[in-house]
Amino acid sequence: MSSISDRRYTRRDTVLFILCLGLSIVTLFSPVSWSYSIADTLRRTVLSPLVWLQTRAEEGRTSRVRFRILTAQRDSAAYLAQFLPSLRAENERLRQLLKLSHRLTASYVPAEVLHQPHATDGRTLLLSAGSRQGVAPFNPVVAPEGLVGVILSVSPRSSIAMSWAHPEFRVSAFTVGGNALGVVAPSAEDRSEDGALELRGVPYRDSIPLGTLVLSSGLGGVFPKGIPVGTVTGTLREEAGWERVYRLRPAANPGSAAHVLILVGTRTPDLASAFPTDSQLEAMRVDSITRVQRADSLAQAARAARAARRESLQKSSPMLGGTPTAGVITGADSTP
Amino acid sequence: MSPPRVTRAQLLLVMLVLLVLQFYLRPRLGNARISPDFLLIALMLFAMRSGAGAGAVAGFLIGMIEDTLTPARFGAGALAHTLVGYFAAWGRAVFFADNILVNAGFVAVGLWFRDLIVLVMSGSQHTQLLTELTIYSPLQALTTAGFALLLLITFRAWFSIRLDA
Repeated sequence: MSSISDRRYTRRDTVLFILCLGLSIVTLFSPVSWSYSIADTLRRTVLSPLVWLQTRAEEGRTSRVRFRILTAQRDSAAYLAQFLPSLRAENERLRQLLKLSHRLTASYVPAEVLHQPHATDGRTLLLSAGSRQGVAPFNPVVAPEGLVGVILSVSPRSSIAMSWAHPEFRVSAFTVGGNALGVVAPSAEDRSEDGALELRGVPYRDSIPLGTLVLSSGLGGVFPKGIPVGTVTGTLREEAGWERVYRLRPAANPGSAAHVLILVGTRTPDLASAFPTDSQLEAMRVDSITRVQRADSLAQAARAARAARRESLQKSSPMLGGTPTAGVITGADSTP
Repeated sequence: MSPPRVTRAQLLLVMLVLLVLQFYLRPRLGNARISPDFLLIALMLFAMRSGAGAGAVAGFLIGMIEDTLTPARFGAGALAHTLVGYFAAWGRAVFFADNILVNAGFVAVGLWFRDLIVLVMSGSQHTQLLTELTIYSPLQALTTAGFALLLLITFRAWFSIRLDA
């Protein structure tokens, strides 16, 4: 009895096995279109809960990855945003430098200031241009705002500039009105953060009003005439009734300069026109704003004209959904 | 004598948990080529506790599921799982099927055998076939057998039944 039951059981198993095997082989060798349709039907009906489950799992996995990517992007953006103001400032300085290079009539070599993390940085500057670019000792170094310094020594690919903050720096200068002449040197008495210059050797009788611009005079043959050196901010001291020493606010700041121009060439003309004064800069800025506003108003007028024309066409043309005007009808009728 | 009803329900519960793990946990495990195949574990554990016919039917159904949801050739999975389910049920009579390690070994061999059939029937190239059968399939067999071992140890009492008795 037991063997009969086992045999029946075995036959059933065999039948099931052969049936499944046959079905598998049929599906395996069935046309591809059938396979796709069967799979699609199964996915949409019986297996839809499993597909849903797998979709949620994939979403969970990818959302974790997306979250990590977004976090990294946000961190990168925050990191970059820290540098945005300094980038803007550098961009503005580069634009000014570019304008200056257009205005300069003398030959020049652009150079990058390679600031060093030393306390004396600002007195001497390492520049990224050297003798291979045509730089030579005693070439003046200028920024868009004015005089920065003078080249001290040159190597093939770099050079050292002595800025106006160096104790040994001297430049012959005169006021923009031409009524006073003197020598500008770094001030030993002024300890302000930005540093200060002093205009020495001005005769006692020549008083200089506050805010007067001081330019290089061109005497001595090192610095060309007309480079802004500083602005008079007050009287520093008077020497025995025959000389006044004035305090100057420097035109250019070597500590914050990132790009400079090195004036090369033996003879350089008057450069006063290359360096606009503060009032000229303000005027140019206002002029630029006015130009932008004018362009905006012109664009607005053009847009308004286009809109009016479109509206007029729609009103006059039945094809565009408008009704013909009386004038148009009259004109058509009057045509022979 | 049929097994207690509660034991069948418990076994069914484990199978359902394995089904959920296959479709909810496995996609999150990283490399799908070496992560445990929970459906194959379910098939092997079921087939080794039931008759050969039931094993073949279970294999066919699981193979159809995998064929429907994976981009391999349609029917190859059904054929492979049918054979694996059938031979797993027969293997119980030949080996010491009550031993947990033998069960885990069955799972590992079943997975490798399944992969062999699926790859051959899908028309895989020789290099891919060799790589899969010598690197990825053994690794997946190891992880799958390891999980099956863990499952058998945890639910030892639930799996100590014969569904065909």
